[in-house]
Amino acid sequence: MRKILFAGLVSLLPATAFAQEGEPAPSVDLPMADVTKVMTAAVDGFIRPGYDAFYESAGKMTTAMKALCEVPSKANYDAAKGAFRDGAVSWAHIEVVRVGPVIEQNRFERILFYPDRKSTGLKQVQSVLSKVDETATDPATLGTKSVAMQGFGALEYVLAGTGSDELLKAKNSYRCRYGAAIAGNIANVAKELSDIWDAPDGIQKAWEQPGPDNLNFRTGGEAITALLGILVHGAEAVRDQRIETFYKGADKAKFPKQALFWRSENTWPTIKGNLEGLSTLLEKSGMVELLKEKDRPIVAATQAQLKSMIELSAKITPDLEKAVGNAAERKKLDTLLADGKDVIAKLNDGYGGAIGLSSGFSFADGD
Amino acid sequence: MWRGEAIDRRGFLKAAGIAFTAALSPRSLMALERTDAVYASGFRAPDGSFGVATVSERGEIIDRVALPARAHGMAYSTATGRTVAFARRPGTFAMVFDPSRQAEPVMITSPEGRHFYGHGHFSPDGRFLYASENDFDGNRGMIGVYDARDRFRRIGEFDAHGIGTHDMTVSDDGKLLVIANGGIETHPDFGRTKLNVDRMEPSLVLLDAKTGALIQRHRLPASLKQLSTRHLDITENGRIWFACQWEGARNALPPLAGWFSKGEDLSFVPLPEETTLRLGNYIGAIAVNRRDGVVGLTSPVGGAAVTLDAKTGAVVKEETVREAAGVAPAAHGIAVSSYDGQFNETRSKVAWDQHIVRLG
Repeated sequence: MRKILFAGLVSLLPATAFAQEGEPAPSVDLPMADVTKVMTAAVDGFIRPGYDAFYESAGKMTTAMKALCEVPSKANYDAAKGAFRDGAVSWAHIEVVRVGPVIEQNRFERILFYPDRKSTGLKQVQSVLSKVDETATDPATLGTKSVAMQGFGALEYVLAGTGSDELLKAKNSYRCRYGAAIAGNIANVAKELSDIWDAPDGIQKAWEQPGPDNLNFRTGGEAITALLGILVHGAEAVRDQRIETFYKGADKAKFPKQALFWRSENTWPTIKGNLEGLSTLLEKSGMVELLKEKDRPIVAATQAQLKSMIELSAKITPDLEKAVGNAAERKKLDTLLADGKDVIAKLNDGYGGAIGLSSGFSFADGD
Repeated sequence: MWRGEAIDRRGFLKAAGIAFTAALSPRSLMALERTDAVYASGFRAPDGSFGVATVSERGEIIDRVALPARAHGMAYSTATGRTVAFARRPGTFAMVFDPSRQAEPVMITSPEGRHFYGHGHFSPDGRFLYASENDFDGNRGMIGVYDARDRFRRIGEFDAHGIGTHDMTVSDDGKLLVIANGGIETHPDFGRTKLNVDRMEPSLVLLDAKTGALIQRHRLPASLKQLSTRHLDITENGRIWFACQWEGARNALPPLAGWFSKGEDLSFVPLPEETTLRLGNYIGAIAVNRRDGVVGLTSPVGGAAVTLDAKTGAVVKEETVREAAGVAPAAHGIAVSSYDGQFNETRSKVAWDQHIVRLG
């Protein structure tokens, strides 16, 4: 049901006859059945499984941290670091979805506070570790504290930052219990997201069935434009936020310690995870089906370029100092930046143009 | 008449001088000679490059100036002829140019910790340029003040008393700065991502142009917290028209435009339901035609251009304009452009950007 909003201070004006020319002309006008099919595939084939998998991996991360706290052995430490890596990569896959419930109530920042140019997170984590604050060892109370000290960045510092050897020194150390609480907090947020997307009459339905009474998308064109937006913004984030944060080119200043997860050497696994997430969404949604035959090669070309980037990201040294300092490694970074730009253009102008956004997706996002 | 000390095409030609017109192609010269109005708008060329073009009333391109990146809003000084193209947020440049090419362009770069929000306005005498800016680490909108007599040196800034500052303008007497704080938090580290859609704080603000002192601030009621107040224009009698973009539930029918004056509360225009639907809950640009007493609105989302009576707010006209972009006062009615290259009656091989400014 449509809701008419009043400000309580509306001037009441007579409705008068006026000249009205032409039918409404949305930029993207696609058959609703085709849109529903694609949106359903995107939600059921990528978004929901993505959040479910993230919740599951966050649970394993919590279990591994608790095991480390109980028995601080080398094996449990390695297992906790492995679970952190799996959790971060699982998040990287679904992180590309930067719309909907994840950007409400600070959920995104609670999972990952990044970029953090002023090292706000680092300072807060160091501060909470320097004193014993038991409220930081309970996921429920930790979840009410600053977002900068309750997500992956904080857990990485607990596991790989200065003083992480304390994790092996004593059973149920404060540092370890804080780490377990962070993992538990991430799992709590992941469960919220999983539940919200799994509710049959909630956002899942809204995304799959655009229409006049829909809270999110009035038309199929709006829904598909939003889906394309996930891909465009996701590709931009990989290039602009994950790579250019520390490397913008051979002749530019380099900041390897600004890279996400440089301490744990998980920078490239998570960038690879982001790229795989984009590729999976493009594939599982069947967005190619919305294009005319002549335009469909743009999707295959985008996939080929994403595949090339995924392969290349696995070949770059995990040591970020070396990655920006060595000419051969820098060449790989340059290739990633160039390919990233191409992927953005293919999605933005290529796919966007093919569905009716004459000047591309980004140009048409108003302001 | 349109806003300020109006100059028409003859005035523009006189200001431009022989050297400018001699440099134009015969086609451009013909376009300039037969137009009653001259506009400027940002564009993207087919090769992906960006620029600003001067345009005749028919929509023919007269001249082009290259830009380093995409522009958004424009400002024009009727006193000096200087025109400014502001970078689209979170851009850091503003290009000041002389449409008649008698003065060298000046590139303004936003200072450390600030980026442009895409809009600005000259003081009536052309002495000062005001620009909407983001203090992104402080998460507060600012108005940068630039001295046009000193190569647009930044001489100060005022607190915009809100976040997500977007459009701003200046009263005809130069005493008031009128500011639309869209209420949406953004940070260049996160590109164009809207960071607080569930906690927006839109507001409309009047500042003393000389001191920056807050004169009036209108926050929106709770039911309209997700109504981003973004664009502005002023009528001859000082009524400030504002246009909005709704970030809330798509099946809601929020008010999308309204007005206020100094010392008055906000009044929203109760647009007919079909007009609100046609605008897609999103107005991308607004312009007042003072001579005709009408207000033009465009929506790229809905593919529509709507004209309202500036006195009553009644809808005068609705048109289908696919990918509707900018609006500006025409000799009569409202000039409209589109992303797909349409500018009034002419289609060019460019994508017109979101805003148009009338030069003469």
